[in-house]
Amino acid sequence: MTVTRATRDADRELLRRYHEDGDEAARQELVERYLPLVRALARRYAGRGEAVEDLEQVGAIGLIKAIDRYDLERDVALTTYATPNVVGEIKRHFRDRAWAVRVPRGLQELHSRLARTIDRLTALHGRSPSIAEIAEELETTPEQVLEALETGSAYTTVSLSADGMEGEEGQDPMDALGAEDEEFERSEDRASLAPALRSLPEREREILRLRFEEGLTQTQIAERFGISQMHVSRLIRKSLEQMRRQLS
Amino acid sequence: MADEPDVIELATPVDRAWDPVVRLVLGGIADRIDLPFEDLDDLQLAVERLRAEAGSQASLTLAVEVTDRRVRMRLGPLRERAIAEALQGPEPQPGELSLRRILETVVDSYGVEEAADGELVVRLEKRVRGR
Repeated sequence: MTVTRATRDADRELLRRYHEDGDEAARQELVERYLPLVRALARRYAGRGEAVEDLEQVGAIGLIKAIDRYDLERDVALTTYATPNVVGEIKRHFRDRAWAVRVPRGLQELHSRLARTIDRLTALHGRSPSIAEIAEELETTPEQVLEALETGSAYTTVSLSADGMEGEEGQDPMDALGAEDEEFERSEDRASLAPALRSLPEREREILRLRFEEGLTQTQIAERFGISQMHVSRLIRKSLEQMRRQLS
Repeated sequence: MADEPDVIELATPVDRAWDPVVRLVLGGIADRIDLPFEDLDDLQLAVERLRAEAGSQASLTLAVEVTDRRVRMRLGPLRERAIAEALQGPEPQPGELSLRRILETVVDSYGVEEAADGELVVRLEKRVRGR
């Protein structure tokens, strides 16, 4: 993505307004300005078992993080800074959800529709749907829904970099993201939390805090982070399992 | 379904590879009583965390009593006494994420019972909320 001098200057002014003046409208304008970049990056990962819309949603989180963490003293275009963040967030999503077993295509397709269906029904009824309601909406049986849900649990960690998913110019965006996360975590004072909890990424820590300290439902947390309720559920499980392994 | 509970019992190895079987059974029960998806997720999480803490013992039995109004589960026998200490100990401090805090969040009530030979059974209950 080529960035003209004028665009770069306009971006910097918006970033300055957001970071120095707390201008939320400037932040929103930046998000909208670079959503096409997020969509373009998300489409590169299409056809890997995840709905492109979900990937766009995940990528948008990376964009927002980039805007929030941008250092005005650094002379770097926002696109340059945001791209590895967006790609990193998408890859993190795949890493969380990589298929561990060969799943029949029909179940994969059903699974890929579950998250949005559950969120849609939750919004429609103002409560979490039952398995039967999900099945009816997807025109399938409750047994198939349960099987598809279980399919979603059958993920494992895989090396995405070994799968032709490197980022721009051969750089692995995960490297950039990881380094940035470390820096971010150092600036956070979370001394009151247990070491295993502290070792989790910031987003996962916050999700656990909201769920188990604040008592928010998964749906409420999903709305805050702009992700699906199913994704929240998976992140909670993964985080708890990671903490347990560390403690043991 | 009458107030008299239906009872489902499932004995599985503790090995985590059997977690999906337990989740599927709970899913089937949730479907039977129209439990909301998030409540099913809570029940599955509670059982998963307890199974994860069970340590090196060979097997565990999950007994589920189901009525229109509640799901009551008993998981045991557990040899790991630390589970009882974790659940019966002092209130978790703010910022502390313990097994107790997790169960307090995901079920309506829980308790620990002594079983034979010094082993434990953990009780969990979740009410079925009206539509």
